[in-house]
This record gives sequence, C-alpha cells and structure tokens, in this order.
Amino acid sequence: MSELADLLEDVVADADAVFLFSPSGSYYERFAEFDDSDVVVVATENDVDADAFVELPLEFTDLSGRVRFGIEGALGQGIVDEDAEVVCVADVFGGSPDTVVRVNTDEFSPSGVYDLFVDSRAEPAVIRDVLEVAVELGKKGQKGKPVGALFVVGDAGKVMNKSRPLSYNPFEKSHVHVGDPIVNVMLKEFSRLDGAFVISDAGKIVSAYRYLEPSAEGVDIPKGLGARHMAAGAITRDTNAVAIVLSESDGLVRAFKAGEIVLELDPEEY
Amino acid sequence: MQIDWPEVVRTVFSEKGAFVLALGILVLGAVMGYAVWRSTRRLLTEAGVDQAVEGTPFERTARGLGTSTIGLVANLAALFVYVGAVILALNVSQLFDTVVFWQRVTAFLPNLFVAIFALIVGLIAGDKARLVVSERLRSVKVPEVGLLPELVKYSIFYLAALVALGQLGVATEALLILLAAYSFGLVFLIGLAFKQLLAAAAAGLYLVLTQPYSIGDEVEIDDRRGIVQEVGMLVTHVESDGEEYVIPNQRVFDSGIVRVRE
Repeated sequence: MSELADLLEDVVADADAVFLFSPSGSYYERFAEFDDSDVVVVATENDVDADAFVELPLEFTDLSGRVRFGIEGALGQGIVDEDAEVVCVADVFGGSPDTVVRVNTDEFSPSGVYDLFVDSRAEPAVIRDVLEVAVELGKKGQKGKPVGALFVVGDAGKVMNKSRPLSYNPFEKSHVHVGDPIVNVMLKEFSRLDGAFVISDAGKIVSAYRYLEPSAEGVDIPKGLGARHMAAGAITRDTNAVAIVLSESDGLVRAFKAGEIVLELDPEEY
Repeated sequence: MQIDWPEVVRTVFSEKGAFVLALGILVLGAVMGYAVWRSTRRLLTEAGVDQAVEGTPFERTARGLGTSTIGLVANLAALFVYVGAVILALNVSQLFDTVVFWQRVTAFLPNLFVAIFALIVGLIAGDKARLVVSERLRSVKVPEVGLLPELVKYSIFYLAALVALGQLGVATEALLILLAAYSFGLVFLIGLAFKQLLAAAAAGLYLVLTQPYSIGDEVEIDDRRGIVQEVGMLVTHVESDGEEYVIPNQRVFDSGIVRVRE
C-alpha cells in the first residue's frame, strides 16, 4: 500500500492551495490548521465560515465544471496566483470526499464561467434562477416535446431598444420575478411562443415575444447552431446582457456573454 | 347579595354531611385536576406547541429540571384546579373559620395563575422572536446588527414582566412610563429615519401599479435623461451613455416625468 500512498503524495506535493468542495465542518477543521498552503472552500453555501470562499451558483454534477468554476472564482478574487499548484478535494460518488485532482492554474484557460455569474450586470441569483428554469425546461420539455427558449438577462433597457415585439407582451404591467415558483410554470407555458424573454438586472420579467435585432457582425459561434444561438450571441455582443439558450435540437443549455459561449450544460445531468 | 354557601350547605345537610361533601369535593377536584392536566397536554401537543418552543432556553431549562414547557403549563393548570378544590372543601367543612382570609386568597389565585402563565409565554416568545429576527438578519454581515435580536428579546421580556406584575397588583406606574417613553422613542426614531424610504415606497407603489413608464422607455427625470433599466419600489434606475442614475422614487414625483418620444 505504500506505493499507493507515494502516488498520492506525488499528486499533492508542493501544493500552493487546497480547494475543498462542499466539505463538512469537521473535515474543514482538519485542513484549517495547515499553515503551508491556503485552504479555499468551494460550495453553494459557506457553512463552515471559511475565510477563502467561492460560492457555487449551482450544483455542478461533473467534476471538471466544479473545479473550473472554483479555480476561476479563486483567481477572480485573487485568492490564488496565476501560477499556482492547486489540489482539489471533491466528492464524485456520494457524500464523502473521494477524489483528488491537481491543477496548475497557469495551464488553465479560463472559460469565463465565474465571470458570467459575478461580473455580469444582472445579479448572480437571477442568472442562476434563469439557468435553473432553462435546465428544467430542457429536462421536461413542453408537454413532453423538446422546446427551445432564449432568455436575455440584464441590461433590459438597451435590449428592449434593440428589439421589437412580435405580438402583445403577456408580461405587460405585471410584476413577476424569476425565482418565484409560479413563474417557472408561466415561463414554461410561454416558451411555446416565438421570440426571446427579456429579464431585467433585478430579475423582473420585462417581456416575452421579443424579436431581437442586434447587429450580428463579428459574432463567431460554432457552425451548426441555429438562429436562436446566433441571436443570443449577437445581443450579448451588442449589449451588456447575458443570454441563456435552450437548444431545441440538441437539448443543451448554453450561456452567452459578450458574444461567446461561456457555459454548456446538459439538462439531463441535473 | 352574597349567599353564605357554608351556611346553606349546613342547613341542607347535617354537620357530618357537610364533612362528607367536603371530602367528595376533594376527590372530585383530584379527578378534575387530572382531567385538566391530560387535556391541556393533549391540546398543547396537538397545537404543535412542543415543536414551536423546541430549543428555546426556557424549554432547555425545563428539560434540565426533568419536565417540559407543556408539562409545566399543564401542571400549572392542574395545580390551579387542585388548590381551588382544596379551598372549596375547606370552606364547606369550615375547619377554619377564616372566611375573609380565604376569600382574599381565592380572589388572588387566578391573578397569580395568569401572572405565571404570562411570564412563561413571555420568556418563550422573547426567545423565539430573537431567533426569528437573527435568522432574518443572517445575511446582513454587520457585527452591530447582533444587537437588534437581543433588543427585541428583552423588550418582550419586559412586557411579559409588566403584565405579570400588573396581575399581581404591584405598582407598575414607573415601569409603564418607561415603556411609554421607550415605545415613543422607537416610533419617533423609526419614523424619522425611514421618512424618506416611506415617501419613496409610496411613490414606488404608484409607479409599479400604473407604470407611467416601463423598462426600455427613454425618459427625463430631474434633468437626467436616459433609458429606464429598472423600476423598483424605492428607486428607479435610468441609464445613459455608461452612467446609471439611481433616482429615489419621490424625486420622480417631485420633478415629474418627461417621456421622450422621437
């Protein structure tokens, strides 16, 4: 067994920082006494009152998504340097930590997923709620059939000026916010409408049925994605909004910021 | 007109009969006390009181003494019935001829019972309120905010003590004046501090209900022209060329709104 221990020692040798993913209180205590490396907690809530903490906006099921978000968050907050050896302790199968991953932050190209949540105009909770709606819609579809949807979140004033109504706005004079339980049902029902949903910085649903008309110049998204994704890429390039798209054809949820795809989720995994 | 019950009993029954009746009253009191104890326990448990008081210091102290809040209240109710029965029995049998003394005790007993009950309710309500308030303020990460839940707790304790003392007939005028000063100060200060917010909320209510302008419209408020980004209860966000104005809603009312239509 000593070879195994040696192997693990190679993985964790000279680590600058230890990332604990959703640790329990006692587990964190054991690490908190370390002096030679920083301990960063990555979780949906800071239950252990850690000093260095990165908040996960949603429960990433795949490890690489979680690690990516955690490291980008720590880089963004300046907890770790650009050139640091990071050891991540996470759980993949069930509740207890069972996986150790070593990442060099230097060899790591940020996808902007942390940026999407924290540095966007809209509040992180709003983006998270919209993502959850999109994921749920992707999972269940509309009456069993796959649907597509496009949510434009944040910078609503500008988005409204760069779009036109396709028909009467069902959310006219209403005051509903994403995250209210009833709204998820409403959005699901309205997802059969054509056009985009526009959601304000604070999460108010401003309009449905919007035809976006940004200038699509210079938008570079992977070939094969349809008009909905092109519109999402273009509107986020033209305004400070972010867009969350549920694809009708492949069922994936993609998030756009500044004209680029920053996050790709498979609803079936959540 | 006061009926002299012992005398009535004595004329209806014989001297011995009165004694037997007193014994009967004692037995009946014991049975009724037990019934009251049982039904109080049942009633409070059904109402979910045991879950509501779970974890409060009072409940913990009660548990430490080998009982619980429900047990204490039930015992108190039963005790009240027992003592009432004993006094009635003593009165009927006239073992003591101290009618005046017992009359005063009988008159005082319900007050004592209410006072103890008020104290128990106050202690539990105070702790519960402190928990609720601190739970609400959990996301506010300002150390000084920890003072607020304690303030709420002791305010409720103070009220409970005041009610209890008032029941017992202790002079509470000074405490009442203190309470009046305290609540006046609270209302006055809150009114003063929240004046602006209340005005903004009143204006915001109108804006939200009638929507004279909505997100995406170009407006001019208070010489600030731009596109409306957000209309909230308290403020309106207007943005132009990278500058975002956060305008309190009462300003929208004061200066009026110019809707710009090309």
